[in-house]
Amino acid sequence: MKIFQVALGILTAIGGFVDIGDLVTNGLVGARYGLSLAWATVLGTVGICLYAEMSGRVAAVTGRGTFDLVRERLGPRAGLANLIASFLVTGLTLAAEIGGVALALELATSVNYLLWVPLVAFFLWLLIWRVKFSYLENGAGLLGLALLAFGFALWKLHPDYGSLVHQVVAPHKPGTERLNSYFYYAIALFGAAMTPYEVFFFSSGGVEEKWTRKDLMVERANVLIGFPLGAMLSLSIAACATLVLKPRGIEVSTLGQIGLPVAFAAGKVAIAFLILGFVAATFGAALETGLSCGYSIAQYFGWQWGKFVKPREASRFHLVVLLSLIGAAGLVLTTIDPVKITEYSVVFSAVALPLTYFPILVISNDPDYMGDKKNGRVMNFGATVFLVIIVVASVAAIPLMIWTRAGQ
Amino acid sequence: MTLGRCRRLLMFGALLAALTSCVGNAATTGAYSGKAHLSAEAAASALQTAKLAVDSSAKGNLFDSYLEIVLSQAEDDLGSVQQQFDSIQPPNTTEADRIRDRLDTLLTRAASILADIRITARRDQQAAMIKTAAGIPALADKFDTFAEATA
Repeated sequence: MKIFQVALGILTAIGGFVDIGDLVTNGLVGARYGLSLAWATVLGTVGICLYAEMSGRVAAVTGRGTFDLVRERLGPRAGLANLIASFLVTGLTLAAEIGGVALALELATSVNYLLWVPLVAFFLWLLIWRVKFSYLENGAGLLGLALLAFGFALWKLHPDYGSLVHQVVAPHKPGTERLNSYFYYAIALFGAAMTPYEVFFFSSGGVEEKWTRKDLMVERANVLIGFPLGAMLSLSIAACATLVLKPRGIEVSTLGQIGLPVAFAAGKVAIAFLILGFVAATFGAALETGLSCGYSIAQYFGWQWGKFVKPREASRFHLVVLLSLIGAAGLVLTTIDPVKITEYSVVFSAVALPLTYFPILVISNDPDYMGDKKNGRVMNFGATVFLVIIVVASVAAIPLMIWTRAGQ
Repeated sequence: MTLGRCRRLLMFGALLAALTSCVGNAATTGAYSGKAHLSAEAAASALQTAKLAVDSSAKGNLFDSYLEIVLSQAEDDLGSVQQQFDSIQPPNTTEADRIRDRLDTLLTRAASILADIRITARRDQQAAMIKTAAGIPALADKFDTFAEATA
């Protein structure tokens, strides 16, 4: 039973790792820089593994949500700064995910994506309101495995693996590209891999599933095996773009372009799986971001939250989720390009990272909360090094965005 | 958050959007040439996207709905490139006028090809679509040559 639980957790972690931010950023960067920026995805994945493990451990040991603890440990002012930054970025990400689902459905049906947006938002709300947490998490994560079509397409393209690996391990900025744009996209990839909602959802999910110290092994397997395998999926998206789109000089600006290498190399069945994967990955991430909006506000204000109680017992939590969905759908319905929303959301994620991750590091080091499960020296060293990287990325993100005109 | 802070945040957002997205005018021939270079690259990208989609469809690898959307978006992208380039005020030099005429001619031909491909795809005339798309590589090469000349 434990093995089944671990395997399911790993599979859902792989399928749930990729969202619209990973799809767009990896496709765009692969088509422009090849795999020379894969190091940023690897770096972001190590970072998310460290901090997700910490936040999951905090949830398992304390049985409480992150924002609840942040406010208690750091005080209401620091907690509020954390809340505002995280909520705004998560809300923007929610809009990007809803747009992503609508774009994927447009590819499958030819019906304009704007017509899908209200329906997608409605189904998200309905599922969050009515369906059990474990079904939501596992269903979306398992269906997201359909994105393995990218891995299949990569294999069918018969690439020179040595050349691809060389691009990863000996990164080299293409001669025609400017250095500032190169680092702008490095930050975008880093932000896409370390999106703040992932740790909030992971830790709040731990509370929803009533994790205890006994579940730490499952939690670590999800993070330390599932997330890196999910990152491999992200890299396969970039590799497909490198092999098919880059030689043709295609600049990625739509979701349809990102899927073209799969169609070119692997055929109709693979493209059917891919569209299913697009829908599942973005819909699953929309569920996670929608819930995370509710988790963050409700935990900060001390309201009853979660799906482990009936909706009427957590009415304010469900109201926040509903309003977040309406706001996010409204943003997409303004006809702002969802791919542009995604590009901005991953960069703003990078800006907000220190406010999200610093409190987690503080709490996971506090023996009053964590007892003998507080961070060890190795974990603290790694997490501190990453905090420095996170701060550098955060400070550099907006100046680079202005300097490069958002990567142009 | 106070009303003043909200206002400042909104102003910051608006300023950021303006700084990262505006097209602007080209004061010198060099700046105009640079914008023409970027427009040519973007136009070639739209053409190559359409070609890749048509090639995949010709092999039976793409659903009609997917093909239709990709072609339509490539056409929109090209239209947007043409509109943005035409909205730039060129400097008053012969060289700038020459660049403008050359790129405008190429963009008009590209728009015509993409429209033809979209029409044949929607009419389910696959042979005609493939034949029209066969003209893309030569035109894309002309965009590449233009982009190199204006780099």
